[in-house]
Amino acid sequence: MKKMMIVLTLAALVAFAGQAFAHSPLMSCFDNGDNTVTCEGGFSDGSSASGVKMHIKDGDGKAILETKMNEDSECTFDKPAGTYMVIFDAGEGHTVEMNGADIVE
Amino acid sequence: MGSKNLLVALAGQPNCGKSTVFNMLTGARQHVANYPGVTVEKKAGTFSFDDIRVELVDLPGTYSLTSYSMEERVARDFLLGDDPGVVVDVADASNLKRNLYLTLQLMEMEVPIILNLNMMDVAERRGQKIDVAKLEDCLGIPVVPTKAKKGEGGKALKARIIDSVATSRKSAFKIDYGVLEPYISELEGPLAEDPVLCVQYPVRWFAIKLLEGDAGAVELLERTHSEADRVVVLAESCRERIQEETGSAAERHIAFARHGECARITREAVILPTEKRRSLSDRADKYVCSRIFGPIILIGILLLLYEVSIVFGNWLALQAWPVWGSLERFAADVLPQAGFMSDPLLRSLGLWVVKSTTAILNYLPIFFLLFGLIAVLEDSGYMPRMAFILDRLFRRFGLHGQSTLPMILGGVYVGGCAIPGVMATKAIPDERARLATIMIIPMMNCLAKVPLYLILIGAYFADTGGIALFFIATVTLFMALPVAKLLSLTVLRKRPSAPFIMEMPPYHIPTISGVLRRAFERVWLFLKKIVTVVAAVAVVVYVLINYPGLTANREAHYQQMQDTAVTAFMKDVQKTGLKGELTANEVLPIILFGESLKHAKIGVKDKDKAAAINLEFKVKNPVYYSVVKRVGKDGKKLNKSLKKVIKVRKKIRREARAERFETSFLGTMGRALEPVTQWAGFNWRINIALLSAFAAKENSAATLGSIYGIDGSEKSVQESMKAGETGFTPLHALALMLFMALYPPCVPTSIMVRHQSNSTKWMLFSIVYQTLLGLFVASLVFTGGRLLGLTGFQTMWTFYGLCVATTLGMAMIPTPEEKETVSTTTVKPCKENCS
Amino acid sequence: MTLNELEPGTRCVMKDLTADGALGQRLMDLGFFPGVEIEIVRNAPLIDPVVLHLDGYHVSIRHNEAKVIEVES
Repeated sequence: MKKMMIVLTLAALVAFAGQAFAHSPLMSCFDNGDNTVTCEGGFSDGSSASGVKMHIKDGDGKAILETKMNEDSECTFDKPAGTYMVIFDAGEGHTVEMNGADIVE
Repeated sequence: MGSKNLLVALAGQPNCGKSTVFNMLTGARQHVANYPGVTVEKKAGTFSFDDIRVELVDLPGTYSLTSYSMEERVARDFLLGDDPGVVVDVADASNLKRNLYLTLQLMEMEVPIILNLNMMDVAERRGQKIDVAKLEDCLGIPVVPTKAKKGEGGKALKARIIDSVATSRKSAFKIDYGVLEPYISELEGPLAEDPVLCVQYPVRWFAIKLLEGDAGAVELLERTHSEADRVVVLAESCRERIQEETGSAAERHIAFARHGECARITREAVILPTEKRRSLSDRADKYVCSRIFGPIILIGILLLLYEVSIVFGNWLALQAWPVWGSLERFAADVLPQAGFMSDPLLRSLGLWVVKSTTAILNYLPIFFLLFGLIAVLEDSGYMPRMAFILDRLFRRFGLHGQSTLPMILGGVYVGGCAIPGVMATKAIPDERARLATIMIIPMMNCLAKVPLYLILIGAYFADTGGIALFFIATVTLFMALPVAKLLSLTVLRKRPSAPFIMEMPPYHIPTISGVLRRAFERVWLFLKKIVTVVAAVAVVVYVLINYPGLTANREAHYQQMQDTAVTAFMKDVQKTGLKGELTANEVLPIILFGESLKHAKIGVKDKDKAAAINLEFKVKNPVYYSVVKRVGKDGKKLNKSLKKVIKVRKKIRREARAERFETSFLGTMGRALEPVTQWAGFNWRINIALLSAFAAKENSAATLGSIYGIDGSEKSVQESMKAGETGFTPLHALALMLFMALYPPCVPTSIMVRHQSNSTKWMLFSIVYQTLLGLFVASLVFTGGRLLGLTGFQTMWTFYGLCVATTLGMAMIPTPEEKETVSTTTVKPCKENCS
Repeated sequence: MTLNELEPGTRCVMKDLTADGALGQRLMDLGFFPGVEIEIVRNAPLIDPVVLHLDGYHVSIRHNEAKVIEVES
C-alpha cells in the first residue's frame, strides 16, 4: 500500500508538475554582434528568473557551458562556433530551448 | 406596416427540450442575464415573423407553480406581472401525463397559452400515438407538435403564436375540484370584491392558491387587497374545514385532482404501446449506477474532464500566451516613455493594470474548455447520475451529490480553478448545501497556488518532494469536508434545505451548437463581470505597494548613482568623434532606442527579417544605432560604456523598487501584523507577500521574487529565500503552505462567490473565515510543532492524521435533516376514531 | 407499508402521502398520487438514494423521503 502510494505520488508529481502553468518560463536571445550572445529570461507571472540555470550545448548535445541568469534575469556568454543550443532550466519541468541558428543579430 | 412588439414567454418542465425550442425559435439572437435580486438566469431572445417582432423570454423550467422554489416564484411573477401576450408551454410529448400537470396550472392562471408538444420523435420511438386534434378539443387551447432537436415545427409554432394573439380565444376548460368547489366559491367572493385585486389577478386561481396555503399568494394578497387579514382568516378556516371534512389537507386534494384530470385527458388523446420495453437509457443506467461500474465510470469521466480541460487547456493557454505578451508590449509602446530611475505614473500604473489583467485572461482557453465540457455533461443527462452515486457520501458533510463537479473543478488533486468551481454550484438545488459548497471551494487546490507549493517544497522538502506534494494536494480535501460540516451545523443551519427528489432524465446526445453556445455565454459572462473588477483592484494594490514611496534622502542617493554613471559615459563620449553630437540627456533615449530595437526582434528567427528591422532603425537614427549596434570604432567603444550605464540603471531600478515595496503601505501592514503572525512563523516579509497575493495568487511568486532579490545576488527565488531567511525551517514552510492553501485565492473568486450567493455578506464572510482559518491552522501547526519538538516532516503527517480523524469524526455527527422527524399529518379527525 | 420497505425489482401502487409542506408538494409535483404504479429500480452504490420508475420516467429520492409514501402491492 505504501509503495503504491509513493509510486502514485511520484507519477503525479511528474504528470502535474508541468501544470504549474501561470508560471510559464519565457526566454529571448540576441546576438550582440561582438561574438557574444545575450539571453533574457522570465516567467509569465512576472517573477524574476535570476539564478535560473543556463546550459549551452553543442550540436551533439555535449555541454559547452553551464552558467546562471544574473540578478537582472540576463545571461551573456561567448557565442560558440558551429551549431549550439541554449537551454533555460528552471527545474520542475520548466525549460525553454533555443537553437543557436535562430538567434539573429 | 410598422413592426409590432410582442412579448412571449416559454414555460415548461425540466428536460422537455425547452432550450432546444428556444434556440430553434431565436437562433443566435439571444442573451443571458439574471432576474433582479436572485441567482436565477433570465434568457431572452428575439425573432420576427409576419412583420411582428417577438421578444421571447425563456422562463426557468419548473414541474409546478408553487412558492417553494425560487425558480417557480420567478416564473410566476413573470407570468402575472410582465403580462406576456402568449405563453408557450413546452411539453415532453412522450411524458404527456406528467407534463400536463404544469399545463393545467398555467391555464388556471388564465394566461393565453399554446401547448407545444415537443420531442414528438421520442414519443414515436416509444410507440405512442398522440391525437393532437383530440387534445386541442379537450383542453380548448392550440396544440403544436414539434421535433425541436431536428429543427422541425419551428415555423408552424411561430405562425401559431402570432395567430393566437390575433384570435385571442379563451379556453373554457376548468378542473372540477369536486368536494372543494364550494370552498373555492366562498373565497372567490371577497377576492372579487376588491377592485385592485380582481383586475390584476385571476380570481379563481387566487382562491385555489389560498386554499393550497401558498405563501406567495398570501404575500400578493397582503400587497393588493384592502382587507387582506380578513381573507387570510377566511382561507385558514376553509382549510381547516376541508381537513375535517375530508381527512386530508386541501393541497393534497388539489394536486390529486389535477393528476386525475391529466390521467383522464391522456387516456383520451394518447394510445400507449401494449408492450413496455426497457429504454436504452435504463439499460445504460444498469452499469452507470451500479455498485462496481458506477464509481469506475464516474472516476473515468472526471479524469477525462480534468485531462481535457486542465492539461489540454494548459497547452492551449501556452500557445495563446504570445497574444497577451504582445498586448503587454503594445501597452508598453503606447504609454509614456520609461524614465531612467522610475517611470511616469501613467506608464507604471498602466503596465501594472495590463499585466494583472492578462494574468487572468491567460485562463480563457481553460475556461472555454471547462465550460464546454460542463455543458456536455449537463446536456447529456449525466449530472443527476453523478449526484445519485455520491449523494450519500456528500450528505454526511452537509453537501449534496451535485457538489461533486464544483469540487472537482476547484481542484481536487493538483490544478483546478475556484472560479468555474463556484460558478458550477448553480446546479445545486438545496440552498444550504449550495452555500456550504461555495464556502469550501476556494480551499481546493487551484492552479495559481501550485507554483508556491513547488517553490516551498523544492526549498524545504527537496528530498521528500513527491510525498510532500501528495500531502498538500490531499490534505485540503480533509480540511474542506469537516469545515463544510461545521458550517452547515452552525452558520448555515437556518438556511432552507430542499428535498432530494430528482428526475433522472433519459440520456441525450448534446448538440455541438448548443454546447458551443453555452461555453461562449459563460466565458462572456466571466469577462464582463470579472475583468473590470480585477483592473480596479489592481489599481488599489498598485497604490498600496508603491506609496508612500522613497524619502527625499533615498531619492537623492539613487539620483547620485544615476549621475555618476551618466557622467562616466559622457567622459567617454568626449574621447570620441561623437563629442558634441551627444548630450547627457540623450543617454536615456539611446538606452530606450536599444530596447525598442530588441523588442522589435523578439521571436524573429529569420536572418533577413532581422536585417531588415536593423536597417529600419538605422535609418531612424544613425547615431544612436551606431552606439547600440557597435558600428565603427566609436560605436564599439561607446557600446561598452553604454552597457555599464545600463547595468547601473537596472540596479537602481531593482533596488529602488524593493525599497519602495518595503516602506509602502503594504509593507507597513506586513510589519504591523507580525506580532500576530509570528505564531504561524511568518515574518513581515512573508506577510507582505501574502497580502499582495490576496489580489491574485500569481502575484505571490513574483512578489516573493522581488523582495528577496534585494541583495542583488545571483540566486534563484528558492535559494534567496533560504539564504534570506536563515532560521526558516521546513516547519515554517509547512505553516506557510497550509496558510496559502486555506486563505482566499483571488479577487475574481470572491466576486464569483458574491455572484452565486447573491449577497455581499456571504462574500465577506468567506474571505474573513478563510483567512482566520488559515491563520489558525498555520499557527497550530507551527507553534504546536515547535512546542512538541517535531520536525517539519513529522508535523506534516501528524497534522494529516488529525485532519483525517476530524473528517471521520464529523461524518459521524447526524445531519440536521436526520434530526428532523418528517411530519405525519394525516390526522384522522376525532369522529372517525371514536366510534 | 411504506415505499422504503420494498426491495429493488418490486412493483407497487401508491396509496397515500404522509408528509406535508415542501416535501409532500414536491413529491406530488413529480407525479406521486394515489393509484400511480411505482417500480423500485435500484439502489445507489452506497444504498441511498433509490431510483424509481413511474409512468414513463425515472425519479430518484432518498430513503427517508420514501418513508412518507404509503403503498400497497
